[in-house]
Amino acid sequence: MLVIINAFKSISRSKGRNILIGIIVLAIAASSCIALAIRNAADDAEAVGLESVSITGTISVDRQKLIEENGGGGRGDMSQMRELMERYKDLELDELLIYSDSAYVKDFNYSSSTALNATGELKAYGSEDNADNDSDNVFVSPEGGMVARGGGPGGGGGGMRGGRAIMVGRALTIGDFTVTGYSSEEAMTKFMNSTASIKEGEMFDIASDDMTCLISDVLAYTNGLSVGDSIVLANPNYDSDDEDIDENGDDEDIANEDNAEDNAYGENAGEYTFTIVGIYTDTSSGEVNDMPMFSTAQDPANLICVSYPSLSAVIENSIENEITGTDDWGTETTTALTDTLSSSFIFADKGDYDSFTEELTAKGLSEYYVLTSSNLNNYESSVIPLRNLSAFATTMLFIILAIGAVILVVINVFNIRERKYEVGVLTAIGIKKGKVAMQFVTELLCVTLSAIIIGTVVGAVISVPVSNNLLATQIERAEDEALNQAQSFGRPGGGPISFDGGGGGGRVMSFSSFGGGENERISYLETVNASVNLMILAQLILIGIGLTLVSSLAAVIFVMRYEPLKILANRA
Amino acid sequence: MSILKLENISYSYDGREKVLDNINYVFEKGRVYAIVGRSGAGKTTLLSLLSGLTSPTDGRILFDEKDVKKVDRYKYRSRYVGVVFQQFNLLPHLNAVENVELSMRASGKKINDKRKQAFELLEKVNLDETLAKRRILKLSGGEQQRVAIARALSFNPDIILADEPTGNLDLSTQDEVMDIFKRLSHEENKCVIIVSHSPEVAAQADEVYELASLRKSKKKGTKNKKQV
Repeated sequence: MLVIINAFKSISRSKGRNILIGIIVLAIAASSCIALAIRNAADDAEAVGLESVSITGTISVDRQKLIEENGGGGRGDMSQMRELMERYKDLELDELLIYSDSAYVKDFNYSSSTALNATGELKAYGSEDNADNDSDNVFVSPEGGMVARGGGPGGGGGGMRGGRAIMVGRALTIGDFTVTGYSSEEAMTKFMNSTASIKEGEMFDIASDDMTCLISDVLAYTNGLSVGDSIVLANPNYDSDDEDIDENGDDEDIANEDNAEDNAYGENAGEYTFTIVGIYTDTSSGEVNDMPMFSTAQDPANLICVSYPSLSAVIENSIENEITGTDDWGTETTTALTDTLSSSFIFADKGDYDSFTEELTAKGLSEYYVLTSSNLNNYESSVIPLRNLSAFATTMLFIILAIGAVILVVINVFNIRERKYEVGVLTAIGIKKGKVAMQFVTELLCVTLSAIIIGTVVGAVISVPVSNNLLATQIERAEDEALNQAQSFGRPGGGPISFDGGGGGGRVMSFSSFGGGENERISYLETVNASVNLMILAQLILIGIGLTLVSSLAAVIFVMRYEPLKILANRA
Repeated sequence: MSILKLENISYSYDGREKVLDNINYVFEKGRVYAIVGRSGAGKTTLLSLLSGLTSPTDGRILFDEKDVKKVDRYKYRSRYVGVVFQQFNLLPHLNAVENVELSMRASGKKINDKRKQAFELLEKVNLDETLAKRRILKLSGGEQQRVAIARALSFNPDIILADEPTGNLDLSTQDEVMDIFKRLSHEENKCVIIVSHSPEVAAQADEVYELASLRKSKKKGTKNKKQV
């Protein structure tokens, strides 16, 4: 009680000194409050954002590792490289389904794509513009990979299947339409993220092989199609054209030409009829119009969506009725359709994603396969400004606290030296040194806490605009870096466009066939909610107590050293 | 029975020349003692020893037969000994009545209505309420001395030590202060020890101890009892 009464009396009677200390602590508190608010808000925004991101992952061959295994970045042994790529192909659906049976996997969906040609009056959108890009420049290798013939990238068909079906389609599939079969509605990402939506008709039965489909409004308009109409698509491997073959120097030995009439389908061999149950509109379809295309199948307008069972039925039918042969180069050919599988593991959060990565290794997945997540990577890129902001705020906080502590210690030392006489009198009348020291600490604590409360209010008001301005600066910096990088690759400063190694000796640009997709522009979080909450208040009070104790330590040491008689004798 | 006893007390600052040498004094309740001597004779040093602000180099001081060295000297100072310092040693940021109250609180004794009692004590030393509410630095030397006396009496100690308590007072007030000390001693059974070079003060004391200056004459301190 004595300590508290004395402390309050001393505070009220020594206003000038306490106001000075108060102003310093207020400045420290306000700055710390801003720094803490920014740091917490940035961390929260990142955590909340990460929670809201549905993480999708894909298992694919780790080509980089294969290259490293083959002698690094230089020209390694190509035959050994082919051997490695042959051995480590993208996983089959059966294997993926086994891995998907995991407690960490929230959902697993997949889609498969193949290229089919138009028949009769049906025209693919843009087919007249791309008349030269006919299907005759393609044949199918017995390994299942489609290989561009005549001037295309050389090499085998490694990497044709698997998670990046779209890339393969873009790079090498030559056909009128891309027909994609989906295992579930979740696999239809463009519909899930509202880039595409059904504007007429209804969704096909995802579990049925009833050969119903969705077509784009552009394709419907081009061909005058409507819901309920049927379209007939053909296996491009049957669709041989003598003239074209002759032009390319091929002869009548080509397999499908000789064997087409012997096929069980007869005149309709390799033709598949789909019923249109819905017409969708795709807002992203315009985004790829400026991109160079190798076939009309690459155009999002020519995407035909079906159920996975329907597509499987088509593929299986083509396999059942395949006709094999040998081409001029002695390579075996087949009319069987091949599909490219795209699969996605869905995870509830990053923790599950990381755990699944470990589980895959434990389950014996080869080190040459890797689980990757483009949306996680994109998200992590998007929070770089937030992380920078958080790091900046943390650094600022430590600097403020260090400088603040030094200032307070110095002020306290001077303060105690000035109050030496008071210490002498108090101890001379029998007040213990510990109590005197406690009184000084209490005084400082009262002044500090009052200043912290005022400083918190000031900091709370200032922190929101300050944090958003700082974040804007960080975003601008990140965007400038991205722009500079884009310009380094000779691209206009748009979103990043990735390159990916192809299946041959060259490099193949990897575009999304349907626009957007994996290569979407990074959306930075532009505002943070830098509000002062109870947590920050508690942290500030802890900081205040910490600073008080540190600075009071000097006071306590001085008080304990003083002897009342010496002080009073010196004064006398 | 003695309340305070000095047994063979010697004192030197930092082991150098002795200020006090082999002092043997006995103080009893109900009496006023005057310790007199020239400047530098060690009067204030003796007062510091008696108030427990420092310890003797040799010998011992017994308070109620207990060695002061071995008791809690903070408690001894705050509860049993009221000191009127020569320089008053009042806290300047407090007013007169607050200085008196501070001593009451420091004693840890249960004192009802401290503020009222503090005013009464100040009234006894001729300081009215207006003066009692003034900050120390706004009071004259004499007024500050009276505040210091009031503070020493505030917690009703057994022993009152006063270092030149009348030094800044006029003759009439000197007599008033001495009357207070005598009344406390004779009526309230306190032991009052006054250090002074004033013959008037010594004349009013029940007993006088004279300290010889060791610095000049090198003579031992002599006890010179004076019966009043």
